[in-house]
Amino acid sequence: MGRGAPHPKMKAGRDVAHIILRDLDIPDIWKFDVYVENGGYEGLKKAVTLTPDEVIEVVKASGLRGRGGAGFPTGVKWSFIPKDAETTYVAVNADESEPGTFKDRQIMEGNPHQLIEGALICAYAIRARAVYIYCRGEFWDLTHALDARIEEARAAGFIGENILGSGWSCEVYTHLGAGAYICGEESALLNSLQGLLGQPRVRPPFPAQKGGGLYYEPTVVNNVETLTNVPWIMVNGADAYRQFGTEQSPGVKVFCVSGHVNRPGNYELPLGTTFRELIYEHAGGILDDKGLKGVLTAGASAPILPGSAEVLDTPLTYEDVQKVGSSLGSASVIVLDEDTDMVWAALKMVRFFKHESCGKCTPCREGTFWMERVLSRIHRGEATEGDIDLLDEVAAQIKGKCLCALGEFALNPAAATIAHFRDDYARRVSGVPESTAELETQAPIEAPVAAGD
Amino acid sequence: MSETVTIYLDDRAIEAPKGMNLVDACKLHGVDIPVFCYHPKMEPVGMCRMCLIELGFEQRDRTTGEVVLGEDGKPLVRWFPTLQTACTQVVSEGMHVRTTTEAVRRGRKDIIEFILTSHPLDCPVCDKGGECPLQELTMDFGPGKSRFLYDEKIHLAKRYPLGEQIYLDRERCIQCARCIRYVEEITDDPVLQFYERGRRLQIISTSEPGFDSKFSGNTTDICPVGALTTADFRFGARPWELDSAASICTHCPVGCNLTLNTRLDRDAGGRVIIKRVMPRQNEQVNEIWICDKGRFGHHFTAAPDRITTPLVRKGGKLVEATWSEALELVAGMLKSAGKAVGALAGPTLSNEDLWALRRLVEGQRGARLGVWPPTMTGGDLIAEVGVAQGTNFTDMGKGACIVVVASDLEEEAPIYWHRVKVAADRGATLVVVNGRATKLDRYTRHRVRYHYGDEVATLNGLLRQALGDAAPDIDGFDQLRAALENAPAVDAAAAQAIAGATDLVVIVGGEGLSMAAHGALMQAAANLLVATGHVGRPNNGLLAVWPGANTQGALDMGFTPEDATHIIDNAASFEALIIAGADPADEDPRAAAALQEAGFIVATALFLTPTAELADVVLPRMSFAERDGTFTNGERRVQRFCKAIDRVGESRADWQIFQQVGAALGQGRAMPTPGVVMAQIVERVPWYAGMDYPTLAEVAPQFPMVGGEDLYYGGTMYKNAGGLGRQWAVAAEQASYQARVRVPKAPAAPKPGKGELIVVPVRLLYDQGTEFYKTQLVHRRVPQAYVALNAGDAARLSVREGARVRVRLAGTEVEVAARVRASVPEGVALLPLNLGVGPLPHAASVGTVAVAEAVGA
Ligand SMILES: Cc1cc2nc3c(=O)[nH]c(=O)nc-3n(C[C@H](O)[C@H](O)[C@H](O)COP(=O)(O)O)c2cc1C
Ligand code: SF4
Ligand code: SF4
Ligand code: SF4
Ligand code: FES
Repeated sequence: MGRGAPHPKMKAGRDVAHIILRDLDIPDIWKFDVYVENGGYEGLKKAVTLTPDEVIEVVKASGLRGRGGAGFPTGVKWSFIPKDAETTYVAVNADESEPGTFKDRQIMEGNPHQLIEGALICAYAIRARAVYIYCRGEFWDLTHALDARIEEARAAGFIGENILGSGWSCEVYTHLGAGAYICGEESALLNSLQGLLGQPRVRPPFPAQKGGGLYYEPTVVNNVETLTNVPWIMVNGADAYRQFGTEQSPGVKVFCVSGHVNRPGNYELPLGTTFRELIYEHAGGILDDKGLKGVLTAGASAPILPGSAEVLDTPLTYEDVQKVGSSLGSASVIVLDEDTDMVWAALKMVRFFKHESCGKCTPCREGTFWMERVLSRIHRGEATEGDIDLLDEVAAQIKGKCLCALGEFALNPAAATIAHFRDDYARRVSGVPESTAELETQAPIEAPVAAGD
Repeated sequence: MSETVTIYLDDRAIEAPKGMNLVDACKLHGVDIPVFCYHPKMEPVGMCRMCLIELGFEQRDRTTGEVVLGEDGKPLVRWFPTLQTACTQVVSEGMHVRTTTEAVRRGRKDIIEFILTSHPLDCPVCDKGGECPLQELTMDFGPGKSRFLYDEKIHLAKRYPLGEQIYLDRERCIQCARCIRYVEEITDDPVLQFYERGRRLQIISTSEPGFDSKFSGNTTDICPVGALTTADFRFGARPWELDSAASICTHCPVGCNLTLNTRLDRDAGGRVIIKRVMPRQNEQVNEIWICDKGRFGHHFTAAPDRITTPLVRKGGKLVEATWSEALELVAGMLKSAGKAVGALAGPTLSNEDLWALRRLVEGQRGARLGVWPPTMTGGDLIAEVGVAQGTNFTDMGKGACIVVVASDLEEEAPIYWHRVKVAADRGATLVVVNGRATKLDRYTRHRVRYHYGDEVATLNGLLRQALGDAAPDIDGFDQLRAALENAPAVDAAAAQAIAGATDLVVIVGGEGLSMAAHGALMQAAANLLVATGHVGRPNNGLLAVWPGANTQGALDMGFTPEDATHIIDNAASFEALIIAGADPADEDPRAAAALQEAGFIVATALFLTPTAELADVVLPRMSFAERDGTFTNGERRVQRFCKAIDRVGESRADWQIFQQVGAALGQGRAMPTPGVVMAQIVERVPWYAGMDYPTLAEVAPQFPMVGGEDLYYGGTMYKNAGGLGRQWAVAAEQASYQARVRVPKAPAAPKPGKGELIVVPVRLLYDQGTEFYKTQLVHRRVPQAYVALNAGDAARLSVREGARVRVRLAGTEVEVAARVRASVPEGVALLPLNLGVGPLPHAASVGTVAVAEAVGA
């Protein structure tokens, strides 16, 4: 397996040329003028000299994969849009709700025009009439700022009628969600955009197909970071992009590092960087030089990995992380030190999923509720050994039966912590909890709506 | 059936129609896939995950497209690694499905266990207990024991009124969304919604009044648990205590098939009463649905003010009498009346009642047999070009065109509306021709508006436009063409839709029409069908939205609205009038006056109605629930209904009463049963040839399967064991049929002068009709009497919303509240009938609306 060349300049230190987080290199690049002075909108200008299909070919050749979590090849996704579709849309997924994920926010604050440009190139490639940027509700201030950026791009003729004389017209809109994790799931996002309840749809039809997209028209849904790569690829070419990363995971990725590290934050690095380098070099190592107990690679969604040497030497690529039993997802790396009580950590995550389950399908709605009950009991020290197995079985029972991936994610915190850290559980069921983590009070058994009469 | 595909179901090759849902295909081949959220009448949503199966597809070579064969020569099948939901699949060639494997069994058990973790398991006090899909599927597939700690169960509202008619038990709800989807997708009353998410996900109603739908009760049948219950039945009885009788709804001409559930009731003094009304499946009539009027409007049968003994007038007062005394009196009066005898038959008289009444009147050489109310006519046209046998709205989709004229269909015949709307969803083209906006307008671009009074001209115009230069070789076409010359251009697109239709049904109501005007409109509608060649084939022809449940039967038995009008116009010349199950004095101001002048009046009635009050003898008749008989619905389907409860007091069936009078007059022996009366009908009424009671009781398998073993699939509505009835054939279906058009003769349209409006009486589903209004539960849905005006007219007349106004029309005057509504056309005032302000004329007429003076001013 070919290991891609390391990001040449990044290795050198902090003052390197970024592809995505260009705000770190160029002050005020969020300003339209500064962005344009630094080559902004050149990618769009180039794109409109090509045919839409040629644009798709470039993106395909770059090997760019979706940064929202699933890692689906972006160019291939665009090519699924039927060529004869009359109405198509682009939906930009800026819902960024995965715990520990905070890259899209930095992109939209620091380098917003590059996202707008990337979305427009995508829109051109699929001949979309409109781009909708779906932002999580908490991003309201950022979204208002984004609206101003969109107006600047419109004033310069990059948005609106007959863009750059190409004969193609496109609008860009922002939309604020109401703060639900599930609305980051692409089909729930589309429902929410349409003003419907934010619940996933049955697929097929997929968003790119007639009947599956926004207003049931073929739609590309892409993550913010994914699209922000595109202008660079248009200008520099697919081969230039492929000099970073690996054969199967080309390019750069913004890694969000949080947890027990000295320097939490966003690090734009080539895919293929190891956990060890990310945690110990870029993020400055573990707080108080403690040992590493576990790493979450994709926020709460992917199975936790133990802090073993094997894991630390694993390159952060879609293929390698999968080989050690987790997935890269959105690359929100949460680092947990040796003192972390994994029952507490699992409970936090299970509560998150129970809270965020949309409730549409039975295994996720009931399974997250049940897991939370059992795990709370274990955490309170009121459970028996058998409850650990029960928890494991409930998690297994959810697996493979859900309508969308949230439910499949939701079983990971319990299943993976039991697999790797069963001792933490054993301590809880064998007596008084000894963890340093605060004991949480039991979540009330809620009765959300008052009884009738 | 159209194209089929071969799929492998548990390794057995089966054929299924291409594009059919996999669950349905399995069901048709005898393999049950358990479902909660899937319902065969609705789009799948894949929510409950109960229908898990193993699914695979035959591998195909990417380049050649050929099926790849394994070493054993059999196609290689690529199986999905996880279980898949069957309900979200449609059958396709080379699909392999396994439903009996260990993985599938486990998957089902897991889902049931999940559902039960939040379920209260209060089966012992649950209305659904005994007919509950969750109970059934738990017994079949669930774990014997729960691993969920009982103390950790969620607790939610147990008695949450979505509206006053439907209650929600939030603990029992399994979030399948069948209820939401039914009112959203099918009846288009998007008044239910999910609120919140996760385990907090719950059903709410967003309307005022709550759960504002005329079909709300149907959700209680398709709810797979006891979460939705009707206020009418909840905690009323356990399902297994109930007896069932096949019946037919008496509230409108659709003729929905019902099952009456009855039980001995302590609160009713130990009598057997109707505890609930359930739909009985008849896919050609009501499918598996009924409207709330049909479901809740049964309380009149057990109302305390039913007349229980014969009453005869003595000294100006009606006093109780014995049957023999009363019958003798009636026979005597009829005898002395000689030929001057007339009869008015009400809307819920059965065919047998009507026949017996006809024989009685004819036996006296009386000549006038009137059907009440005489608002619509054109029975002869129905007999000629009525919708052909086999017509079924469920079969209408692309290519079919349905024209609805002069009817607010949802208010007048809800299940016609329901089925027409769903046909439109399937692609049928709707043309809605009316003087005002109605809910049906939503489903079509072809909304043809006329000024009240121009109904016939409008249909003529559509016909002229639809025909273009075509000149079909039909009797009477030349005269018609000449008459059409002056017809206005109406709506080219609508006319084109009619001209391009493969199938065409025209549904004619009577809104705002006098009987004569309605007759002309029926003729214009018949012309439209005949001239475009849409008669005599299934899914083609004429359908009238008759005013009564058995108006069609009355027409078939020889009763006419023309005779009814004649009787009212010449009441004084009748020495004896028999008014059976009708209440003209309450419904028609002219009749109220005219009846005062008639000679001897004998009325059969359930209640002491205004008409009964005028009678000389009042005889207590049985309600439909107390006896057997047949009704003929608007589509000419003759359907049996059966005795469900004992008679109230000494009441007798009308057919018995008339035969007993006849016997006293020496007309011959009374027939012992209604079945024998039917045999007589069949002999004398050619349309009914071959329809004996056993034939009418015949059933055939229907899809989807409902009730009993299949209640998890279709719902708890009853499977039809009582008979599907028979539709009689119209002339256009006979080889000898001679197509014929005639020039319709419409009376002049009302022309309002200065300051005047056209007052249009309209029918509402929820009104104060004697029988319906005995149901307390519906009172909140019956509006106060009102007149609705357009904002412009209201401003001109200084009438504000809610103001008391006086409406004058055709010699009648009523005081009602004003409503200002954008949907009312300018120059028109809509005046709903039957809201308790006394009899009103039925036809539109010139009138005035003025703010009522304060009393004493
Ligand atoms: C529960 C759930 C939450 C998700 N949240 C997000 C999110 O916040 N942002 C995002 O870009 N993708 C999210 N996704 C992934 C999207 O469904 C989708 O795959 C992605 O937007 C596609 O864009 P990409 O191909 O550019 O990654 C989520 C998926 C699931 C199942
Ligand atoms: S898996 Fe969870 S989030 Fe996804 S549809 Fe089912 S209930 Fe909703
Ligand atoms: S109330 Fe009944 S039909 Fe409606 S969602 Fe709940 S279980 Fe389903
Ligand atoms: S649609 Fe008509 S026949 Fe059917 S239940 Fe309602 S009132 Fe009765
Ligand atoms: S998911 Fe198929 S029946 Fe509910």
